[in-house]
Amino acid sequence: MGKDKKNKFKTPEGYFDNFHDRLMDRIQQEDSQAEKSMIPKSDGFAVPETYFEDLAPKVIAQLEPKEVKVVQLKSYKKIYYSIAGVAAVLLLFFGLNRNKVDTVTFDDLANSELEAYFDTNDFNLSSYEIAEVVSLDQIELSDMLDQNLGEEQILEYLDENVEDIEDLNLDYNDYD
Amino acid sequence: MIAEETLVAELKHKDSQARAFEVLVNTYKERLYWHIRRIVLNHDDADDVLQNTFIKVYRNIDGFKGDSKLYSWMYRIATNESLTFLKQKSKKAGISDEELKMSLVENLQSDVYFEGDEIQLKLQKALATLPDKQKLVFTMKYFQEMKYEEISEVLETSVGALKTSYHLAVKKIEAYLKAD
Repeated sequence: MGKDKKNKFKTPEGYFDNFHDRLMDRIQQEDSQAEKSMIPKSDGFAVPETYFEDLAPKVIAQLEPKEVKVVQLKSYKKIYYSIAGVAAVLLLFFGLNRNKVDTVTFDDLANSELEAYFDTNDFNLSSYEIAEVVSLDQIELSDMLDQNLGEEQILEYLDENVEDIEDLNLDYNDYD
Repeated sequence: MIAEETLVAELKHKDSQARAFEVLVNTYKERLYWHIRRIVLNHDDADDVLQNTFIKVYRNIDGFKGDSKLYSWMYRIATNESLTFLKQKSKKAGISDEELKMSLVENLQSDVYFEGDEIQLKLQKALATLPDKQKLVFTMKYFQEMKYEEISEVLETSVGALKTSYHLAVKKIEAYLKAD
């Protein structure tokens, strides 16, 4: 029996030696009991047989560049030389007149044509994908809206339309 | 098991890249699969997202600076890929995220790769009602048995906030399971 010199209370022999271990055991026991109580330990999902065995080769196959068929050039050498000769003559002839031909550039497209193109084609870009190519520094809310919105209108809109605060992608650190 | 630093170095080196990538896939395939599967629920979708995750890891390994552990970096990619996948799926179907989550749970009943009984189906319904973050914390802690410190690195959230999230999730799930 252990004794405390200052008082007359006694504890069983070795009581404090393994106190920490016993305490941790009890916490663990309570934790597992609480979890066992209601929620099933398995969630019932299964995978096809050999799925995990077959996975690595499947993923690696997607990374390898497809092999390009090699065509033997030697036997066609003479033909290539004559084609190259004709091409050189044609290039010289048209090359001299090149400055006369107007080339169409991106700037020649009217804005309305560009808008119509984007309106009629579904690009299926997610907001993350758009965010990857257009940085926030380059864009203002007014770029997309005809009328300027006041802070009050924005708050009113969010209040009416946002059910889950997580949709706003705010900093989660202090959430919950 | 190969040390993480060695694996990263080999992944960044052209000569050892292919072999190291195979080691990486084989080391993390199951853990990442179950993480993704618990978000997207369906096996085929989980397979797609898992493959995309590994391909992104391979293509972006040079950008991995080692500020966090490799596995938490991969878990982060897997989480983002899964959530983006669900968002795109709901957008394509023209339904809200919540409607999609419920329809995914309903589809489990006819899924050949779901062997759960009534209580496990009810658990999935309960999980579908939780905010994304709470659901993630719960599945990572409860089913994947990850430590709070590990979850904290993946979700970039403090351990204290995670404990609160987990506690709230457990309470909500229990309340859902108790209700008729």
